Amino acid sequence: MKMAKIVILGAGVSGHVAAAHLRRKLSKQHEVLVVSPNSNYQWIPSNIWVGIGRMKSKEILFPLPPLYKKKGISYKQAKVTSFYPEGDIETTEPFVNVEYVVGDKKGVSEKVTYDYLINATGPKLAFDMTEGLNPGTNKAYSVCTYSHAEHAWNALNELIQQMKQGKKAKILIGTGHAKSTCQGAAFEYILNVEQELRRHNVRDNAEVIWIANEHQLGDFGMDGMLLSYGNNIMKSSEMVEMVFEDRGIKWIIGAGVNKIEDGVAHYETLEGEYKSETYDFAMLIPAFSGHGFKAYDKNNSDITEKLFKGFMLVDADYTPKPYEEWSVQDWPETYQNPSYKNIFAPGIAFAPPHAISKPRLSKNGTSISPAPPRTGMPSGITAKLVADNIIDSINSKNKMKHKGSMGNMGAACIASAGFGMTKGSGVSITTFPIVPDYNKYPETQGRKLGKTFGEIGLAGHWLKLALHYAFIYKAKMKPFWWLIPE
Amino acid sequence: MTQRISKSKRFYMMNPIIQFFKFIWLSIKILVIVAGGHGGTREAKN
Repeated sequence: MKMAKIVILGAGVSGHVAAAHLRRKLSKQHEVLVVSPNSNYQWIPSNIWVGIGRMKSKEILFPLPPLYKKKGISYKQAKVTSFYPEGDIETTEPFVNVEYVVGDKKGVSEKVTYDYLINATGPKLAFDMTEGLNPGTNKAYSVCTYSHAEHAWNALNELIQQMKQGKKAKILIGTGHAKSTCQGAAFEYILNVEQELRRHNVRDNAEVIWIANEHQLGDFGMDGMLLSYGNNIMKSSEMVEMVFEDRGIKWIIGAGVNKIEDGVAHYETLEGEYKSETYDFAMLIPAFSGHGFKAYDKNNSDITEKLFKGFMLVDADYTPKPYEEWSVQDWPETYQNPSYKNIFAPGIAFAPPHAISKPRLSKNGTSISPAPPRTGMPSGITAKLVADNIIDSINSKNKMKHKGSMGNMGAACIASAGFGMTKGSGVSITTFPIVPDYNKYPETQGRKLGKTFGEIGLAGHWLKLALHYAFIYKAKMKPFWWLIPE
Repeated sequence: MTQRISKSKRFYMMNPIIQFFKFIWLSIKILVIVAGGHGGTREAKN
C-alpha cells in the first residue's frame, strides 16, 4: 500500500477532530500533518465564561505541539497562503504554500505537498466589514477568541467597579454586522453578563440591550424553530422573549450594525430607518468571511473560482434560487471539492449553498439577515466523516460512504444562561435537523418535534460544564477519547 | 423587568435535586439525538 500524506489546514474543532481520528485509525506508514498558525487548541464554547471572568484562558486551552509529537502527528506552526491542487511547473504533486509565523523560520514560505487535503481553516473574523468595529476599541469587544474574551472581561470588570460607585451604564450585546452569524454565542454572553451584574449587586444600575440582525428573537440563523418545551409546543422566539423579559433585557431586532464610534453603534433597520444606540460596553459578533485564499493550476493560472466562493466549494448545489425553492438536498453530504476530489472542507470552511434563515432586505435594499451557523457539533461531525472517507479511500474501500448533511443531522446548543454550581442556568436546545426539512416535517416548521426541544434550568449549566471537561478530555486524546461522540 | 417565569417553575428550574435527575435525562436525550446518527439527504429524494 502506498504511503499517503494527509495535510490538515487548521487546528480548531474540525481540524483537530480530523487529525485525531486519522491518526488513530491509520497505520503509522501514513503521515498526518497539521498546519496551523495557532499552536493552542481552544474549546471555543467556554470563551463565554472567560468573558465574564469565571474561567481563565488556561482552563479552556492547551498547547498542541507536545500532544501531536506524542501521538505521531506532524505539525507546522504556519499559515496557508495559496493552493496548487495540480502542482506547478517544478512540483508534480499537489501542494499548498505555507508561511511560518513564529521562530527562526518566521516569514519563510514552504511548499507542503499532499495526497489528501483537509481545509479546516474556519472563518476569518471580519471585523473590518463594520467600520470602527475592532475588539478593544470604541468600548466594543468580542468573545470569539480567548484573548478577545479576556479583554472583554477586563473592560466589563472595570465597568462593574464603576457601577458599584453608582455609575449608570448601558450594555449592548449582539451582532456587529447585518450578515453576522453565531447569535447563539451572543445570546449566551448577554445572559451570563446579566447574571454577573446581579451577582455583583449592580443590576439596577445597568440597562442591558440585545441587538441583532434576526427579524425575530430566537432565529439563531436557523429560521427559528418550533420546539417541545415541557408539555407545550413553543416557538424559539417565544422562549427567548420569555427569558429576556424575565431578565429585564431589552431588544432591538432586524438591525444591521454598520458603524461603531466611541460608545455608539449605528445601525439600519429592516424598516429602512437609520438609528444609533449609545453604550458603555458592547460585545458584538462580527461577520464571518472566507480568508481570501488564491488557487493556481500547474501553469500558474488563477483557478480560485474552482476552489472558493468566499469559503471552499464542496458538494453542495450552489445554483442561485429563491428562498421558496431552497431544499435540504442543496446542502453538502461529503464536503468534497467537486473539481479536486482529494480536497475536503468540513466545519465552517465550506461554502454554504445559501442561508438557512429567510433572506430579508431593508427598505433601502440592504441585506439584513443572519448567515448560517456551522459551529461546534456539526464541525466535529463533518470532520470525522471526512476523515472516515479519506481512510476508506486510502484502504481502497467504498468511497464517500460516510455522509452527513446538515439537513439530516441533529445538533445541541447548550447555551449558558449564567455561571454557578447552584445559581447557574442553561438554555438547552436541540434541533433535528439543523437545516429545516419542510417537505419531511411540513407541520412543525421543518423539524422533528421531540428531537427539537428546549429546557431551561440549572441542569443546563451542569451539562455545559460537563461538556467542557468531556471535550477537553477528548481533544487531549486521553484514554478512550474516541468513545465521546462529536 | 416582567416576571414571565412563575415561582413554582423557577423552583423547579433551580432545585438541585430535581435538576440532578433532569441532568441525567438531558444527557441521555441529547446523546441519543446527536450521536443517533446522520446521513445524506439526496438518496431519499431519488
